Order: sequence, then C-alpha cells, then structure tokens
Amino acid sequence: MTDDDIVITGMGVVTPIGATVEDFWEANLAGRSGVVAETRMDLGGLPCGWAAGLIPDDVRKEVAERWGGPDRTWGDTLLHCVVDQALGDAGITGPIGGEAAGLVWSRVWPGPSGSFPQDYAVHFRELGERYRRIGNDPAVVLENLRNRRLSAEASDHSAFPVELAGRLGVPLIASRVEATCSGGLRSIAEAVRLLRLGRVEVAVVAVSVSRNTQYVLSQYGQLMALSRWKGDPAHSSMPFDRRRSGMVINESAGALVLETAAHAARRGVTETHAVVGGWGLAVDTTHITAPQVGMVERVMRTAIAGSGLTPDDIDTVNAHGTSTKLNDITEARALHRVFGERTAELDVCAVKSLTGHGSAASGVVETVAAALTLGRGVIPPVVTCTEPDPACAVKTSLTPVERPVSTVLKNSFGFGGQYASMVFRRPERPRPAPVR
Amino acid sequence: MSEVIVTGTGVVSPAGLGTEPLWSAMAAGRSFFDSDGPLPWPVAAVDRGTVGWPPGKPWVDNRKYANLAAYWAVEAARLALRQAGRDPDAPDHPGWGDPERGGTVMAVGSTGDELGDVMPRLAGMALDDPRPLATLLYEEVPDYSYIRGIPSQLGQFVCMTTGFRGSNVAAYGEVAAGGLGALALALRLLESGELERVLVVGVAPPSSVTALASFDRDEPIGTEAVPGRGPFDEDRAGPLLGQGAAAVLLERAAPADAPAPRALARLLACETVVAADRASATGLAVRAALRRSGGRPDLWWAHGSGSQTADREECSAVLPQVGAVPVTSSKGTLGLATECSALIDTALAVESLRRGQLPPVGLLRRPDPRLGGPDTVTGTARPVPGLGTALITGVDHGRGTASAGALVLGGVTGAPGDHHARREEEQ
Repeated sequence: MTDDDIVITGMGVVTPIGATVEDFWEANLAGRSGVVAETRMDLGGLPCGWAAGLIPDDVRKEVAERWGGPDRTWGDTLLHCVVDQALGDAGITGPIGGEAAGLVWSRVWPGPSGSFPQDYAVHFRELGERYRRIGNDPAVVLENLRNRRLSAEASDHSAFPVELAGRLGVPLIASRVEATCSGGLRSIAEAVRLLRLGRVEVAVVAVSVSRNTQYVLSQYGQLMALSRWKGDPAHSSMPFDRRRSGMVINESAGALVLETAAHAARRGVTETHAVVGGWGLAVDTTHITAPQVGMVERVMRTAIAGSGLTPDDIDTVNAHGTSTKLNDITEARALHRVFGERTAELDVCAVKSLTGHGSAASGVVETVAAALTLGRGVIPPVVTCTEPDPACAVKTSLTPVERPVSTVLKNSFGFGGQYASMVFRRPERPRPAPVR
Repeated sequence: MSEVIVTGTGVVSPAGLGTEPLWSAMAAGRSFFDSDGPLPWPVAAVDRGTVGWPPGKPWVDNRKYANLAAYWAVEAARLALRQAGRDPDAPDHPGWGDPERGGTVMAVGSTGDELGDVMPRLAGMALDDPRPLATLLYEEVPDYSYIRGIPSQLGQFVCMTTGFRGSNVAAYGEVAAGGLGALALALRLLESGELERVLVVGVAPPSSVTALASFDRDEPIGTEAVPGRGPFDEDRAGPLLGQGAAAVLLERAAPADAPAPRALARLLACETVVAADRASATGLAVRAALRRSGGRPDLWWAHGSGSQTADREECSAVLPQVGAVPVTSSKGTLGLATECSALIDTALAVESLRRGQLPPVGLLRRPDPRLGGPDTVTGTARPVPGLGTALITGVDHGRGTASAGALVLGGVTGAPGDHHARREEEQ
C-alpha cells in the first residue's frame, strides 16, 4: 500500500437484514433474509411484486427517533444514520480540519408524498378529492395549496450536505449524483476521483433509497422486472437460480468514508477495510433496459486492467445479481468471457439474494460486504440459489466460503444503459472484526 | 489551471435554438416573459414547436421513452455538436475519437411535471374504483412513465446522438449550483484522464405547480417581469421563472485519440462548495476557482437571481474578490431555468468572449446602491477583452440553502500556439 492509495476507513449501513455493519454481515453469513411479504398495501392485482426488502419496523422506529426530524425526509434520515455509523467507524468524531472534504451522495426521489405506501395512499386520495372539487386548473390548484403544509419532498430539497459540512467543520465539495442502479459504484468512483486529484483528503459517500409506494411498485410491475415467486417470500430473490423470476426492490442505505492512506495514517488509522482499485464505467445506447453481455465484459475488463491486475488475480466476484432472468444470464455470460475456465472455480456472491435490490444504495451496501470479505476472509453464501441455473454456470455456495481473499470484483448495472464495475483490494492491515 | 477547452455550445431557450440568437436578444435588451399564464409568476417559456426529435429508426423506436426534457436535451446536445464540427447524425465517425473516451453529464432536478395531467384524473377515478391502488396505477398509468422520469435516462438519449459511451451520470438538484456542479464533475473526469471529451447538458422543463409552490415558499418567486424587477435592481422582487436546455461540450485540449479540437474558450477552473450558508459557499467557490485559474477575471457573469437576499449575498461574496469588473446576468432576459441556468450562462459567456462584448442585464432600471457597487452593464452591450477571463457564478435557490459554484473561462485568440490556430494549422 502506498500513501496515494485510497482506503475505506469507515462504513455504515441500514438494510433489511441489519442496521449496523456487524448485524448486516452476520445476517449475510447466516443467510438470513430481509425479504418479506409486502403487506402495507394491496398488491394482489399486480402480476408480480408482492415481496419487498423492508427495514423492520422496530429498526425503522429506532432510526427515525434518533436521526429523524420534523422537516427531514426519511431518505435524509437514513443518510444521517449511515453517515453517523461510517464516521464513527472511521474514528471521526469532530471537525476534521483541512480546507474541504468531499461528499458524493445520492437519494432517490420517492415522489412528493415521500417513501411510504400509507402516505402515498393519503396523498392520492387527497389528490382525487381535490380533482373532484376543483379540477386541475393550475391557478386553482395553486390557491388550494396555499396555507397547506408542503412536505420536504415537494421540492426535493435536502439539508443533508450543509448539515454534514457543519458536522465535519469544513466546506464540502459535494455532488449529488444519479446513475440508476449503478449509482452507488459511480458515487464511489467520483469520490475517489476527488481524492486522487488532490482536491480533498477525506470524502464521504452516502446513498439512501426508499421508495416502496404503490406507484413505484406498479411501474416496476409494468416493466415485468419484479419477482413472481409465489412461495416463501424469503426466497423471492434468487440470483443465478434457474427458477428466478425477477428482482425484489428494497429500502436501504449505505455510507463509506474514503481517504488517502497518507491522511489515514496521519490520523493514526493504520487498519482499514479495503483499498479501492480501478473501475470501469460505460453507457450502452442500444437498449433502454436490457443489459448487454459485451458491456458487462467491457467494464469488468476495464476495472481489472485499471487496477494493474489480470483476470487471474481476481479472487471473487460480488455480483450485481438482481435475480431477473436477463440480468443474471447476461452477467454470467460476461463472467465466462472474462474469466474463461476459471469461472467454474470463481466464488460468486449476490447480496441481493437476502436484501433485495436497493438501486443506487446497493452499490454501496454491497461494497461494504466486499470490504468485509477482504478483511474477514469469508465469501457470503447465496442461500436462495438452491437450484443453480446451468445456463449461468457460476459458482455460488449455500454456506459461507472461508478462505483468504485479496481482491474482489464488484458489479453494478442499471436501466438507461448504465454499467459499472470496480475492484477492491485487501489492505496490508485489514480492520479486524470487533469483539462482540 | 486545466487543459480543457469548450468546443461547442447549444441552447434551447425562449429565443429559439442556439446560443447566438439568445445572446443577440439579450444584447438587444429583450426579455421573454409571458405574464398571461394561469399562475401568478411570469415565465420565459420555450416554444415547444421549435424542438423536434431526430429522424431514423433508433430514434423512432425509443421515442416512447422520451419526455419533453429528453426532446430539449437532445436538441441542445445536437446544437453543441454541430458547433464543434461534429455531425450528430453520424456519431460514430472514425475521426472523432474513441467512443469509450467520451461521456455525458446531465444537470437536472426532480421538479418536472411528468404526469401532471394524468395523475389528478386517475386520483379522481380512484375514489370510486374498486381496484387496489397499485393495480389501478399498473393498469392506467401510461407505459414507460417511470423510466421517462429517470434523470440519467435523458443522458442515454444524449449519448445516442454524441456516440459517447464512456459514461453517463446526472448531477442532481441544487438549481444553478447543481449546473455548475455538473460542469465541475465533467472537468474532473477530463482532468483525471479518464475521458477525452464530455458533453454536459442541463435541462429545465416546466415545473409542477406543487414544486413551484414549494420554491415560492423557500424564497418568493417574482410576480412582475417589468423594468425594475431584474437582477441587481433596487426594486427586484424575486427570481423570475425560466425554461430551457443547454449543452456545453468540453474536451481535453490535446486529446490522445483525435486531432486537437477547435476551441471556443478555455475552461480554467470550476468549483462548487457547500458551506454554512449561501454567501459563505459563494465566496469560497469563487476564491477556489480564481485561485486555480490564476487571478482576477475581466468580467463577471453573475447568477443574479433577482431575489433581494440572494443578490445581496452574491455581491457581498464576489465583489471583494473580483474588484471593478463589468457584470451581467441573464435572469432578467430568460429567467431562472433551475439546474440548466448555469449551463446557459456558460454558453452565453463563451459567446461574450468570442464577441468581446458583454450584454446588458435585462429589466435592470436602477442598480441597487446597497449591493456594494457592482459595475452592472445596462442599456447596450459593453466591449470587454475577448482574450480576457470570465467568472460565472451560480447559487442554489432558497433562503436556507448553502450551495454555490464558480467557473472561470478564458478567451482564445486564434493566434499561433492557441488551440484555435492549432486546429487550423492541422487542416
């Protein structure tokens, strides 16, 4: 490791399977699913989408009480929660000094009524009553809105960046980015770029996604992208299984603290989670939603080459693994192209099997899993892949695979032709697991 | 100082298509606001009839995924490409560099009115409809609506016309600060060597009534578009609303995969900052940009929102750092086009450097003496050094916001050794 290396020194998550990094990791290794039947709304008429990766109610309540506020959206509340964890994990408890810090963040806009189906139902009923009463003339609608409370979501305004600037005691060079489901890895890449260009020495990446409303579910249903599994909801997301039928959307958030190794060392931090290697980014213009094998292959090869490695140097793959028919076969075929005969022995994990798909947040949450794989020498199982698809022919395991791991290749792809792949390396001195 | 140049700009505005018509209209003292709309806020609106959709099979096939913002974004992109000498209908021309070394950055917000005509009607229907809400929406919402609303989806359309397949990302929100944030992100992509060229596109379609109401509460929107209500006027009464799209093509001055392109201007620095408050952020962003670009600018293209508070904050943060330089703002001509406005201002500032003239501030009648004496351009366009440098500032909207950005452009001469001349020598 050199002083110029970019290291991950802090991590935080809120997911359906754990609201701390250690709980999340323990659930990953135990194969404990956070995918449940979505009972907060009637989804019986949809051809798919009855399951969701939901943050448990008790966790939601605890997060809201500790990090929520009267004018703070749920998405921002999640951001504060995960950033708090990550900063604490990095040992940053107060002002960090220096001229500026970096922030690359993303919060998927859930719509003007916020993240929850009950709020959406109220919003839609009120919208209908208003339409019946006054129609949709803009002037009359505006008059109707006067003296009504407008949610913070109405203008998608967020105080999160300025609040974080205050907490860190420095101005932020901040970017709020969106790159569909590759947005998490994209955010990490932009933060690393800030660090490598010497613009900052510390950068925070934070992404939250929570938009399980009737509207969003209905639209993913239209796209036929959601799981149609009718058995145990916990098995709805089954990446690389021959019975997979679609993805399960979730709510989740993740945060990372990234810094130059030199800066970390000056703070006395010598044990880190991971070293960020190279990445590949690409956009495909041939199809709006369908992934392409060649594009997946391209970003993986670029990420590996940009890390100064060859495919033979990659120890394991943390897959995008959404559980849709097309994504998983496309990703698998690309893995075969890149890794050839090695694919049969290359351990592949797919965190979405337990959490569902958190869009941009997945890239950060799954990077946390990748970092822990490096540090702890354990590759999480894919417990829902009980009937591996021979067409995919990738090596998943029903139990954790314990062995030293020096490199992880992490993939994320998304609608709109978005492709991202990134390599993470084990640091010389990995952060040991805490004593629990 | 960066080695990045501007090679093309494109604007879709109330003045029509292209940067030049808008610059000329501004120089002529025109304003484009229409006060006859249903809302109390005048709007400088884009004539939707001026914007088309490209011909050909892939464009026809994918039109179902395109909304109004996509139409505008693609049009602005194609204008910028043409100015740069690229044919937007032949994006894979072999002489234009490696497609994988080009990228797109979008500047967008989430206030568009995608389903403004549809959802209220469906909501009214739902009151008597026995179907569960999700089922009703599944069956009644027009297909592809969700995809059409994804910000980076616009970028994929832009990539179709540029042929740039290196990457595509959207910088999201924060009004003009977000637009400069998109340019700053693009500049970092180029400075890092990851890409050779990036097209940055901002788009501001009409906003929903709810979003406008929320904006108005954050910081009151102007209700009169008459002389005296423009930026920096002592009687200014809030930002006026604008619409539009703008594209700025940035390229490395000496790309590794293609001949050196012709420069319209140099992009010397671009910084965005979030700080304790908007004035602090503006001051810090300007300081950082000027430090990187090497000194004071020769002109200042201000954000100049027309808000009493924002103009005061902006002047107090910028004037001590730039001294007595001529100042203009486009907001009295075409309003605040949210995230797109900084891209429009960048395109107009490039045009000013090329012409050696700075157009006047629209709707400015009596400069506010409490602003610290900005040398605002009034009446007619004022000569400025074409070889000089231009500072462009952009800030977020809302009294509680704390984001701002600053960009510095440098003029080009066409003299030997200049990027412009290098291209001509090669030809």
